[in-house]
Amino acid sequence: MKMNHHRVGQLLSAYLDGELLPREGAAVQEHLLECRRCREEYERLRTTKGLLGELPLAEPPAEFWRVVRAPEAAAAPPRRISWRVPLLLRPAWAVAAVIVILALALIPLVKGTVDRLHAAEIGVDLYVREHALQMSTEPLPDRAYLGVVTGDADLVLVGGSTHRDEGAP
Amino acid sequence: MVPMARPDAVRADRYTREELARYDAIIQRYARHVYNIAYRMAGNEADARDLSQEAFLRVFRALRRVEPDAPLESWLHRIVSNLYIDLLRKRPRARVESLDAPMETPRGEMVREFPDIESSPEAIIEREQLDGAIQRALGTLSADLRLVVVLSDIEGLAYEEIATILHVPLGTVKSRLHRARQMLQQRLRPYMEARRRGWDG
Repeated sequence: MKMNHHRVGQLLSAYLDGELLPREGAAVQEHLLECRRCREEYERLRTTKGLLGELPLAEPPAEFWRVVRAPEAAAAPPRRISWRVPLLLRPAWAVAAVIVILALALIPLVKGTVDRLHAAEIGVDLYVREHALQMSTEPLPDRAYLGVVTGDADLVLVGGSTHRDEGAP
Repeated sequence: MVPMARPDAVRADRYTREELARYDAIIQRYARHVYNIAYRMAGNEADARDLSQEAFLRVFRALRRVEPDAPLESWLHRIVSNLYIDLLRKRPRARVESLDAPMETPRGEMVREFPDIESSPEAIIEREQLDGAIQRALGTLSADLRLVVVLSDIEGLAYEEIATILHVPLGTVKSRLHRARQMLQQRLRPYMEARRRGWDG
């Protein structure tokens, strides 16, 4: 089996590791005898492999030994749970927060709407009058009244009549 | 080595004395090795520690399912390789820190300072320089190439085993290893030439 220079170049590492089929190995060997460039390349690869193989074992730090020798202690409370629990609870917290926010926003909205519907039922002017009394004592909590005062187009008319009523006595 | 029955260590009610002794034996035999692979792959102590510690936690949890005479070595290799791959997935930008690269600090770049090892024989210093250079060269490889070359040339595994561990075809192992060695060889050429001169002289 004859191999070209390029093909041999690709197989040099596997040749070095003895991972070629016998006939491939023989072909590379044959080529190496004739080709100086491939021989040099082979030598460099061999030295590289040798250097890597001679690397000393990295010395593990004391902390490594402590954890590895007492794996249960390391796996148990603070460390693992401290990051796992918040991770599990995070969606739950988010849902709870959304519910609270929605409740805070919706309760006055719903209450206001209900009150306004009520106002429409009994007539805005009557409603305003009814609430005007309460307004004088507790102006701020009566949001429905404020809503009507600020939001209702009819109010201009109603306000006009109230003004006239108030002016009369 | 510290006996495993330390009160703060493991809960003795979960594993029998024999099982704990077995775990102890596994550590004796493989801990340095596993740490070394993790260190050569990750290139820094913090990641190496996390990876190798996690590998042993898994061994500990699976202790009862491991057959007493099962070859643990390739299993451990697989665990630590997969953990490293996971780490890279989580932190794709994770870079291997090289000790002589300038450090980024708020006041600009700083170069680490190391104490001189004046009393050491020259050969040891040279060896340390060379080791540092090799580790840096490993760090410049892509993770794929680095994994293969660590398993092959540092751990001495056969292509077949590497292919199994990394779930890649044999041909891929072959080509990656060749590329990895070529790149390392280029980067280490000055050291290799110095070495050859040393041998000749």
